[in-house]
Amino acid sequence: MTATLPFFPPDLFEADRDTLIEIVRDVGTALDQRFILGEHTARFEHALRETVAGADVVACGSGTSALSLVLAALGIGPGDEVVVPAFGCAPIAATVVTAGATPVFADVRPDTMTLDPGLAEAAITSRTKAIVPAHQFSVMADMPAFEDIAARHRLRLVEDSAVAQGATLRGRPAGTWGDAGVFSFVQVKSFGMPGEGGVVVTGNPELAATVRMLRNHGQDGRRRFVHHVVGYNSRFDEVQAAFQLRRLPGLAARLARRADIAAYYTERFTPLADRGITPPPPGRDGRCYYVYCLRAERRDELAAHLAALGIGTHVYYPAPLPAQPAFARYAPPGAAWPNAAAAGETILALPVYPHLSDAQVEHIATAVCSFADRKDPRP
Amino acid sequence: MSVTSLPHKGNEPIVEPAPIPFFTQAAGFRRLWPEIEARLHEVADSGKFSHGPQVARLEHRLAEYTGAAHVVGVNSGTDALILLLRACGLGDGAGVLVPAFTFVATATSVVHAGGRPQFTDIDPATCQMCPESAAQAITPRTRAVMPVHLFDRMADVAAFSTLASRHGLTLLEDSAEAIGMRRHGKHAGLHGVGGVLSFFPSKTLGALGDAGAVLTDDAGIAASVAALRHHGRPGATIGDFPAIKTGSELVGVNSKMDDVQAAVLLAKLSTLDRDIARRAKLAAAYTERLAGVPGVRRVPGPLTDGGDDRDVCYVYVIEAEDRDRLATALTAAGIGTEVYYPVPLHLQPCFADLGHRPGDFPHAEEACRHTIALPLHPDLTIAEVDRVCAEIRRHYTGSTS
Repeated sequence: MTATLPFFPPDLFEADRDTLIEIVRDVGTALDQRFILGEHTARFEHALRETVAGADVVACGSGTSALSLVLAALGIGPGDEVVVPAFGCAPIAATVVTAGATPVFADVRPDTMTLDPGLAEAAITSRTKAIVPAHQFSVMADMPAFEDIAARHRLRLVEDSAVAQGATLRGRPAGTWGDAGVFSFVQVKSFGMPGEGGVVVTGNPELAATVRMLRNHGQDGRRRFVHHVVGYNSRFDEVQAAFQLRRLPGLAARLARRADIAAYYTERFTPLADRGITPPPPGRDGRCYYVYCLRAERRDELAAHLAALGIGTHVYYPAPLPAQPAFARYAPPGAAWPNAAAAGETILALPVYPHLSDAQVEHIATAVCSFADRKDPRP
Repeated sequence: MSVTSLPHKGNEPIVEPAPIPFFTQAAGFRRLWPEIEARLHEVADSGKFSHGPQVARLEHRLAEYTGAAHVVGVNSGTDALILLLRACGLGDGAGVLVPAFTFVATATSVVHAGGRPQFTDIDPATCQMCPESAAQAITPRTRAVMPVHLFDRMADVAAFSTLASRHGLTLLEDSAEAIGMRRHGKHAGLHGVGGVLSFFPSKTLGALGDAGAVLTDDAGIAASVAALRHHGRPGATIGDFPAIKTGSELVGVNSKMDDVQAAVLLAKLSTLDRDIARRAKLAAAYTERLAGVPGVRRVPGPLTDGGDDRDVCYVYVIEAEDRDRLATALTAAGIGTEVYYPVPLHLQPCFADLGHRPGDFPHAEEACRHTIALPLHPDLTIAEVDRVCAEIRRHYTGSTS
């Protein structure tokens, strides 16, 4: 059945439908006929700078591509190893491989499901060039610890902050830790948009300049068709930039609404721990509710229970990255990632988008609680 | 609103002629707006804004238009080349023959796919990759040959096909500029294992942003490209958000096409053949006016257009004496031009490690010194062509007639 409360809502931009259509018409008929990396994109990059403590922002084709551009700009390539979490989205490993380097998987912490600093440090070898911790669902990775490790081992630190736009940790915005961070704007993200796009965030002007060259075929922005480096086509469309500029003023309120929904869920779910349901770790620091993901011992039954009540859910990553065929060759024989495996078996994400009504949020929370209270015999 | 009468000499009002941009699609876009707007509502109704139903429909319509068994929509023509080359599995360090005179992505895509570009010279009469030069460039490392259909016509695909089979090479086509072009009834991109399309806005079929596609008759290559564009996820993922939970079978990228772009492209596809015919007419008008003008070293030869063979004028490129001064003069006259391309690929800084020197590919180098592209798009008028040609004549002879 189709969930009446879908996990991936089709009406994310319904309030701005006319805005989108008007922007497409205006860009399509504008005198300057500039469609890619134009004035709107420049203004969008500039506007975002204010949200990341003045760091430079370079708009590009996607969050995945942003990671690739950062790795390339840092000169990471064949012969280099990069420590990445064993649990998470494919790009965190794939971008390392497509850069020509080798991903070295380290397990995640059992509570936050983010890269475990101790295990990451243990994975460092003489070939290690960088560590790429990723913020996961709603929780930022332990960036102070990774900053320390990177400094001690003289490694590059890349922050996969694709999911964490708007979060701050100890007063410092996500994206501004390490050499560079990234944001993704694919529609479901906290600052999603009606198309594909992302940005690189960096406080290092040289790195920003290199990323700017890499995103547009290695050109320097002054002389066309002179290619200084082997670049990519990873650019930002003017339609999307204009749309994001219109939506930026409302972002803080949407993030606050997500946080409020999450806080309510956590309040309702905290008492369920002894019945096999655990909410994400509490607290507000280093949190950004892109995805509200709880852990459930009887996860598939809970998902079925919610589906029967018309509530959509999603299991983001059923398997650790090194267990997937694409990355199996980077898994040393006998290596195991028990926390990643356990996460894959127990995670369940609930709807947390800002246009959920209070009644819908209560309905979802009550449905989860009613499952926990069920007296079914366990199989 | 206040109107100020500016004083001017004599009785003739001074009328500044309107600028002639190198490219605009504004008028055509305005004509197609009702269809585009309706499709944008479909996008919003579907709630899937990339890799969604409009992309699926565009792939289907492009398959009908080109005759390709498979069309895979991606984020750009460059990505299409990279993913096509990766799907061919040529292997690390594989040599791929490409022309030295083309857009850089022809060669950088080879690098991103793990290969090594092997540059070859062009035929000076057509600016297309030269089969004889390609044959000379073959080494034991060579695995593939990728001619480019550049500007306004197809490379000699029959010759490259023969070359490929004689030397056991894979034939791919950089057909990014070649929508609508055919040989022996077969669309560009389908003469070897596959080709690509770019929908960069100024292309013959252009979006309002970046978009591209892979064309192939090979089901295996199509399936690989389709997985690679979506993080290596196998199977039919278009329109299916929950498919993001599927594990990666291949080391993929994110190269999904936006549905807003697909919506615009679907509308423009409905007028594509009319636009192509208009381009041919404008190109012929340029050639008629520019042939024999002093300073104009070369105008494009006649385009093939008949029966099963058709070329398409995507850009109208001439070779001119003292090209940069001509470009400056045209800019001063309000006429936009482009220099495709000022530096041949073998002399680009990004390929310095391949060790080429000036003189290695003299025809490509000569083309880079002299080529200039003139305004060409379906809404250009013959009167505008007249003005551009008159300015060129004035630049070289001091007289417009």
